[in-house]
Amino acid sequence: MEVVIASSPVDAGIGCWDLHSGAEQLRYRSCTSTPHGLACVGQRFLVSSQLRDSSSSSGTILYWSWNKPQVEVKSFPAEPIHPLISNSDGTYIIGGGSSGAIYFWEVASGRLLKRWHAHYRAATCLFLSDDESLLVSGAEDGCIRVWSLFMVFDDIGMEMAKHPYEYSFSEHTLRVTDVVSGYGGCNAIIVSASEDRTCKVWSLSRGKLLRSIDFPSIIDAVALDPGEHVFYAGARDGKIYIAALNAESTPSNIYGKHIIGSLSDNSKGVTCLAFSMDGILLVSGSEDGTIRVWDAKTRNIVRIFRLAKGPINNVLVVRRPLYSNFQTSANSHASLSRRHVPLLPPPLSKYVNSTDEIVDSGAITVPQTPSSDIMDAPYLSSHVLTKQISELQQQSSAATGMEVDRLKLDCKRSLEMVQKWKEMFADLHKFCVDELLGNDQTQTQ
Amino acid sequence: MARSKPSSSKKQPKRGVDFKKIKRKIGRKLPPPKNATNTEIKSKAIILPEQSVASERAGLAVSKKGLTLKELLQQTSHHNAKVRRDALTGIRDLVLKYPAELTLHKLAIIEKLRERISDEDKVVRETLYQLLKLVIFPALKKDVPGSLISLMMAYIFNGMTHLATDIRLMAFKFFDLVVQHYPSSFFMYAEKVLQNYEDILRKNHIYLQDRSKLKNALVGLVRCLSLLPCNRRTVDPSYGKNTETQGSLHAYELEVPKEHTDFSSIIKRLEDILPILVNCFQDFIPLVHPMSSLDAQSFDCMLYLLRSIDLSVKFFLYGIDKHQTDFGVTKPTYNEKDMPVWGEIATPVFLRKFLEVFPLNQLHNTSGKDEDKFFILNIEITEIFLHSNEWIFTSAILMERFLEFIENLLSGKIRFNSRSGKALQEKHLTSLLPFIPRLVSLVANTWKSRLLQAFTMAFKDCKPESTLNLAFLSAIEEMLLPSKRQGILLLDASEPEILDHQITWIRELPVLLVRLGDTLSSLSKVILHLLLRLGQYAPMNSSLAWEYDIMQHTLGEFYSMCLDDGSILYGPFMKLPKDCQELSVCCLYYFSSLDSLLLRSLVYCCLCDNLEPSVLFRIIDVLHSAYKIGHLQLVDLISFFVTLVARWKVLPGRLYTHVENAKKISNRETFKAITGAVCSCLRQMGDDALIFQIVQRVILDEIPLNPPIDNLCGMLRLLVILDSRPTKLSEQSIIILSNSISEYLIDAASYIPENGDEVTDSNQISICQYYLVPCFFLFDRSDKLLNLVLDLMGSSIGEDNSSLACNHDTQHTLDLSSRIVAVVSILLYMHQDIKIRRRLSSCKGEITRILQKMRLQLIDPCWEQ
Repeated sequence: MEVVIASSPVDAGIGCWDLHSGAEQLRYRSCTSTPHGLACVGQRFLVSSQLRDSSSSSGTILYWSWNKPQVEVKSFPAEPIHPLISNSDGTYIIGGGSSGAIYFWEVASGRLLKRWHAHYRAATCLFLSDDESLLVSGAEDGCIRVWSLFMVFDDIGMEMAKHPYEYSFSEHTLRVTDVVSGYGGCNAIIVSASEDRTCKVWSLSRGKLLRSIDFPSIIDAVALDPGEHVFYAGARDGKIYIAALNAESTPSNIYGKHIIGSLSDNSKGVTCLAFSMDGILLVSGSEDGTIRVWDAKTRNIVRIFRLAKGPINNVLVVRRPLYSNFQTSANSHASLSRRHVPLLPPPLSKYVNSTDEIVDSGAITVPQTPSSDIMDAPYLSSHVLTKQISELQQQSSAATGMEVDRLKLDCKRSLEMVQKWKEMFADLHKFCVDELLGNDQTQTQ
Repeated sequence: MARSKPSSSKKQPKRGVDFKKIKRKIGRKLPPPKNATNTEIKSKAIILPEQSVASERAGLAVSKKGLTLKELLQQTSHHNAKVRRDALTGIRDLVLKYPAELTLHKLAIIEKLRERISDEDKVVRETLYQLLKLVIFPALKKDVPGSLISLMMAYIFNGMTHLATDIRLMAFKFFDLVVQHYPSSFFMYAEKVLQNYEDILRKNHIYLQDRSKLKNALVGLVRCLSLLPCNRRTVDPSYGKNTETQGSLHAYELEVPKEHTDFSSIIKRLEDILPILVNCFQDFIPLVHPMSSLDAQSFDCMLYLLRSIDLSVKFFLYGIDKHQTDFGVTKPTYNEKDMPVWGEIATPVFLRKFLEVFPLNQLHNTSGKDEDKFFILNIEITEIFLHSNEWIFTSAILMERFLEFIENLLSGKIRFNSRSGKALQEKHLTSLLPFIPRLVSLVANTWKSRLLQAFTMAFKDCKPESTLNLAFLSAIEEMLLPSKRQGILLLDASEPEILDHQITWIRELPVLLVRLGDTLSSLSKVILHLLLRLGQYAPMNSSLAWEYDIMQHTLGEFYSMCLDDGSILYGPFMKLPKDCQELSVCCLYYFSSLDSLLLRSLVYCCLCDNLEPSVLFRIIDVLHSAYKIGHLQLVDLISFFVTLVARWKVLPGRLYTHVENAKKISNRETFKAITGAVCSCLRQMGDDALIFQIVQRVILDEIPLNPPIDNLCGMLRLLVILDSRPTKLSEQSIIILSNSISEYLIDAASYIPENGDEVTDSNQISICQYYLVPCFFLFDRSDKLLNLVLDLMGSSIGEDNSSLACNHDTQHTLDLSSRIVAVVSILLYMHQDIKIRRRLSSCKGEITRILQKMRLQLIDPCWEQ
């Protein structure tokens, strides 16, 4: 089920709607999210960083599971976290702090694997490239930096290299409001928006500015067309501008160079944009508390959802697993964790504890069955694996017996089912053959 | 004989002569017989131009002497030197006259001319050189004559190995010429050429006498070496870079390898040539010491030698540097096996020896001119030293000497004597300044402070319009901010002394900016960029950030200044080009708390007519963003906005559109846009009720000043946007507002289209709505306000009734009548609006009172007259 989730900086909870039917799902309570501070971790649960008054020094990150409106897990990082993302498997959560540091947590254990000083001012947005090897971060000082996650964990390499980042783009003069990256891993383009009223297109392979587009208003959100022909830029004047990436633009545009059109509904400022999985529907969140779903091809509004009176600052389109699927998920790791440990992973830790981690801080690739694609190998730190192993060992005495019994029961039931299916198939087969033969006979007669 | 004639004539008739006998004298020519057939053949010439090519030259390209190209080319290999020379000058004339000939026959011409490269005659060679330099190469510049170059090169190499020294040196000159025009050709023949240079320099003692020739050869070497890649210290590329105007992003790009990748052979050659250059230079040193002054030729030679050494050192460094930086990102240019060749073992030894000669000529005083020369040489040596200091560990004494020299240079203790000295000094200082940051970061503490002291002094003394400023600024940027490449701070700002210097520089920047005015906008741009970077990168809560915040006091002058007598003096901000303005506006964002004084000087700029609206909108944007991240007080921002709306000068202009009024209308449109921008900012601020209270307070302070109708309208709009129903306005403010609104309505009434007028201008209607709608909103939300306003309108009609009973002032009556008309039209217009009609029905009393007053006025005796 493809759902739209949206949150607001005022406490209106996280709204959740089915994108195709428009039916509202559960509303998750007590969330005041930061801009770019809402993420869905591996389709398993929702996570959001919270706005807090500046008096408290630590930040807040909350977890919600899909089927409960209450906050399930609360964690308190060392400083307020603004942007928050997770990789598609849901192994990691990456957050950008108000001091400019970037935090890297492992979800399964909640450990803070790495914290590094990335920017001189607060980070405002984060984006993972499509192969999830590069992290792009934007900050209040107008700087955009590209990090290789590989390098970030390579301490020796970091010392050798002259700078820890791959690229640092500082052409924006004001706060960076959004960054997205296209397809193609390290050869992709990235598009960044800033409060200096420009959007800039960069090449990751060459590390240079390809294009700078001036807009009539400040752009707060950017979304790339799946074909990368155009990108959509949500502006503070309430329009969503369409800017060309590939096409030659005619000089006689009303908005300016490279801008080929706009989606407009006379709303207040557009704060966030997201594309649906099929790349046709564009979802926009606005200052006036509504979420609009546009058909990007016809440029018409398809649906409007309403979250609250206050502004919306996060919109995501995610695939939410159906509950029936949920139970029969074949992933051994997931089923294991669901059955024996609490549904959600432990809270994120505050500091990097460096005492015992040095020894076993390596990552382990879980051996896969040969049929599965090598690229999909889930990465887990050895710490998590040892924990899981010890859990297995502990529970082997009592729980395993039960488990085996249950599995045997399952097996028996399945065998019965198989038998039943076989019979049905034989019946059907006989019926079909009879039918065909009968027809033939009538025809020959 | 004479007698015989008549007799014979007598006889003849008698004899009846048939044929007359004619006697002829021997030797006399016979007249032609009368009946002779004329066998003479007469012919006329038929002129066929096509056939006359062989002999006629009228239609052909010829030189002054009437020779064709072919003949001239033939003559170039004449055994007589004079003929050869003439032929070359002839070719020159011809090509100049008929440029097409050259392009047609370039191959033939070059093929013939190249033979003259090693001509025995000096004059011929010189003529050829001039011919190539002035005529042929410039003309052929467009089409790439790769084959032509290779044609030439064969003979040039031949010349380079010629026995006659003259020819040899001249060949280098020719090569220089080729490289000058086709720089890429150096890389094709680099190895061979360098080999030849090496040979010739090895035998330098032969040429010591003929220094001008040697100089020529060295010029060529310098030119070649300057083509080698090196670490160029460029100013931050983002300053001047304009974004490319590519059509599409993913377009195929023709990528030509820009560098000749095979440097290994060049490296080897350079390794050999470097010691020879050093030796050669040392041969000149004895010339320095005698009392005799240094002649120009040998000075030039020394200078060029130094330059060559400098360039080759730079090239070596580049290689080493490249090896280190290429960490996986780009492929290393050099193979592993080149690594040991990189001269780290071999080169420094003699370089160290060479550097020992520094400083030249401290022993005796000679004339000023000479001192300058030595000074230049010293600077060159210093440059080499600075280039190489990363990989040579020099002795402390030598280091001291250099540092002292640099310090003296910076502090101006060493000066040029000659007239052009000032410019020269600046030029050389510019070449040394880029090294200062690195040097400062490396040397010992005592020297650090001395150098910084000298640097700061020099920066302070530097005149604003001087070109040195650019170099200073980039050095300062390097020392203040984490460098772009390494990402680390070069200087430790925690040391109080360094911090002191840094603070001095920062404080100097706005002063420099103001002093510059709008004279050098490019320099202003660099300064603003530096300020912006400082704002962006200064670590939070550090003393640098603190200093940046303090800077806003001095920066106010940059925008505008309020003089004592109330007039406003606009700073350079108003006159700078738009990109500088935008940069300076962006700087505002990074002040951690914007000062209200700076805001005031900013608002003066905003209110000035000359400011472009787009910049004004940027200011609004940036201030709003600054507020969002807590860099600006809410009250300050609101009073900024309200002041802007209340004081912005809308040019008065009736809107009955005439062409000449077009500008005035657009001005009003701008004001509308400003109001709109301010409204949207206010709405995004959050708590409406709180903001409304503040806005209300500020606006009520402004209203008694009787702002023009447009500004009042703008302010009412601000109130309406934030207000809700029922109104949140306080009693007191309703009373104040009602006063001004009644006046405002009467003014606005003049825009109400008259009923009788059929062709009502749509523009006028929209204007009228623009003025009246905010009032209607207020009335809709507050009955009390409506009552009060109606009361006031009524009293404005009737107020004069008693006091000026029968004043026969026509002006007054006219005024009164127009006022009545206005009130009536307002009432009618309000009546048309459904919502307001409903409201009006609740205040019948006031309306009747107004009508009564009108009636009273009408039956007034004054009217009857």
